[in-house]
Amino acid sequence: MNHFFSRQRYLIDYTLASLLRRKGKHATLLLIYTLVIALLASVMLFTEALRQESQLLLSDAPEIVLQRQIAGRHALVPVDYLEKIGTIRGTHQIEGRLWGYHYDATIKANYTVMASEEHALTNSEIIIGATLARSRGVAVGDMLSLSAADGGTFVFTIKALLPSTSELVSSDLVLMTPHALRLTLGIPEGFYTDVIIAVRNPREMQKVAAKLIERLPDSRPILRDEILRTYEAVFAWRQGVVLLLLVTTVLAFIIFAWDRASGLSAEERREIGILKAVGWEIGDILQMKFWEGTIISLSAFLTGYLIAYLHVFYGNASLFAPVLKGWATLYPDFRLYPVIDALQLTTLFCFTVIPYAVATLVPTWRSAITDPEEVMR
Amino acid sequence: MRSSKPRPSTPWLFFLLLGISFTLLTFADSLRLRDAMQADLTANRQLVRDLALTDLALFTDARYVRHLSQQDNYAAFQDHPMALEHFPSGSLIMPPQLSP
Amino acid sequence: MLLHPAIMALLLLSLLVTAMLLPAALFALQILRHWNMQSGSARQLALERKTYLISTLLTWVFTAELLSLFLFIYSAEALSGQFVGAMCATGVLNINAWGWPTLWLKIVTFFAGSLWLIMNQLDNHGYDFPLIRQKYILLLLIVPLLLAGGYSQLSFFSALNPEVITSCCGSLFSADAQGVAAELSGIAPKNALLMLTVAALILCVTAYLVLKQGTRLTALAFSITALLFFAIALSAIVSAVALYIYQHPHHHCPFCLLKAGHHYSGYLLYLPLFVATALALPLPFIARCQAIPSLSATAHRWVKQLSRSSLALYLLFLVIVLLEIAASPLRLLSQ
Repeated sequence: MNHFFSRQRYLIDYTLASLLRRKGKHATLLLIYTLVIALLASVMLFTEALRQESQLLLSDAPEIVLQRQIAGRHALVPVDYLEKIGTIRGTHQIEGRLWGYHYDATIKANYTVMASEEHALTNSEIIIGATLARSRGVAVGDMLSLSAADGGTFVFTIKALLPSTSELVSSDLVLMTPHALRLTLGIPEGFYTDVIIAVRNPREMQKVAAKLIERLPDSRPILRDEILRTYEAVFAWRQGVVLLLLVTTVLAFIIFAWDRASGLSAEERREIGILKAVGWEIGDILQMKFWEGTIISLSAFLTGYLIAYLHVFYGNASLFAPVLKGWATLYPDFRLYPVIDALQLTTLFCFTVIPYAVATLVPTWRSAITDPEEVMR
Repeated sequence: MRSSKPRPSTPWLFFLLLGISFTLLTFADSLRLRDAMQADLTANRQLVRDLALTDLALFTDARYVRHLSQQDNYAAFQDHPMALEHFPSGSLIMPPQLSP
Repeated sequence: MLLHPAIMALLLLSLLVTAMLLPAALFALQILRHWNMQSGSARQLALERKTYLISTLLTWVFTAELLSLFLFIYSAEALSGQFVGAMCATGVLNINAWGWPTLWLKIVTFFAGSLWLIMNQLDNHGYDFPLIRQKYILLLLIVPLLLAGGYSQLSFFSALNPEVITSCCGSLFSADAQGVAAELSGIAPKNALLMLTVAALILCVTAYLVLKQGTRLTALAFSITALLFFAIALSAIVSAVALYIYQHPHHHCPFCLLKAGHHYSGYLLYLPLFVATALALPLPFIARCQAIPSLSATAHRWVKQLSRSSLALYLLFLVIVLLEIAASPLRLLSQ
């Protein structure tokens, strides 16, 4: 065993010395390799963090949201639906939700207006999300006017801002009293936007949902599990799409690596020729080349991953966050919840190091079987 | 025979060790960052519960991307056959999942 | 089809493996037909040179397969959030008919691949390519396995339908259900642990014989015991060890063990068990190579080394099992 290790160590010594002799050529390769890995790793870390955070946050979403649909579109729910739902066994807290969208022409953005009874608001007070406050350049105590459904304009006092740490869920929220909301959005008394239902026994969720559709055929229940699965799938899918786009980058890099490995300079060929002349066998040269690939790959992989980690979790993914976060006017500004695991590292490894190793295999072997007599003539 | 020059593998193995330990350190660091964010996360979950929120406010450009999970049933190209997505973020969310 | 990064990585791996495997298989045919160590013809020389390329290629193939076994289980685990009814990898594997075959093929490939790698290493120690024919016959046997694995995996992923409601470990691994999984779960924990102990004792005895004598017969005995031990250990995990880890007398799943919630104890259990079995299986073959002049010294040494490492890993597995049982507040044997 000791013999084995010291032999590999000598091979590494030799390989490093040989790599350092041609710094320029290998430095470019290493640089591009590192950048490709850093790019891929950033995408993976970023979306994975977002996915995990969405799962954690939305695990407290309502158990069932009941929408009413008319003509394939979301419609307001009349109050008597709440009573009908109440007669279904297993339903627990039934509450009508009041919310809607409000388009603000000044900054060309959509707000999500929600009714809240918890914050002791008066009819002329609102609480707004931190992103919204930033975009409009307003602070606590300022006035914010919203155009109402009847054509008039309401002027609200900003009572408070939602904490800026909550922007991921609250960036565009405007909270006001139910009465003010009805006037602003034009939702008549006796109607709600949708209904949230808590279920006594979570195992009966599906059963309750089936009964809801039976009792109220024009309704569409959305279960919490569905919400969670939607987000799970969206982020996995999005990560996949971006990776698919990046595969072209990997491919370009692989071609580059292939080209580098097959286009041996006369000097390199001579080096191999001399090695063989002094008694190295094909197997030894392949081992040396294996170490060459390993040294480059490991250096690039570790450096690239670390760059990605710093970029995503300390640099807030500043390079491509706008693309992944969308084109909305209101950019939520949030800290990512870092979750990393072996699956991500292995996937990353499969996307970069393995293709590199495969691409350089044949050219490496070609160079290893070089005839010493042929190159030293 | 021992040359006075250090073997090139020594600094590289050192570098490798450093890289691996930093990589392991990122796992520990992510735990630390998560711990630091725990209070915010709890507060946010409370907010989600209080306001009965259903979606992340990642995109605000259209209804069906602001509230991903609450959107109407929709089909691709629903407006007319040649219609492309109105909003870039629409291309970033997932197409409807169809059974094969 | 889901565009999950891990799925894409798995498909990429299987594509690369197939791309490398086909030239290797063609080469194997050439070797079997034209290999002649005595000849100094140009063809023989080319073959000798090319065998270096092919064995490096295959080393990568099997490394990739090893990686893909791990990645497959891990990603099945990770995908469980996207399917109704799936709580862990069991639910995801149940989604369509291809899930379990893919897993089994990957496991078989893992053992076959490690056998090939060990043979290849051994062959490199002899100056006259003593094992070349056996090596490439084995390769030709592995090729269909690998292709079937790749095909089955592709079918599995392309038929992943998020609308399907699957059943998870709770219903598959329960004593009331039908099938192999249910049979395994139905074994009383006491019996399972007893069998494991007996198997471990036999294993120790055969290992002692191998270390003492190192004959083909003892090596074969050790190998067969190891295989039996592997099967018994897996069923003991399902029927007894899992219960201790979950601290629940009716939860039998072999995959939930891999979750962070159970401190990844599954990896601690499976890793030594799989590696130990992979080391034990080639033993009869290596013992036979002791008769080949250019290999006899190496083969002799290897029989001892491999059986020793294999036994050590099995014992490690048992120690981990004991620790898990001791650490669990659940008591099943005292009743």
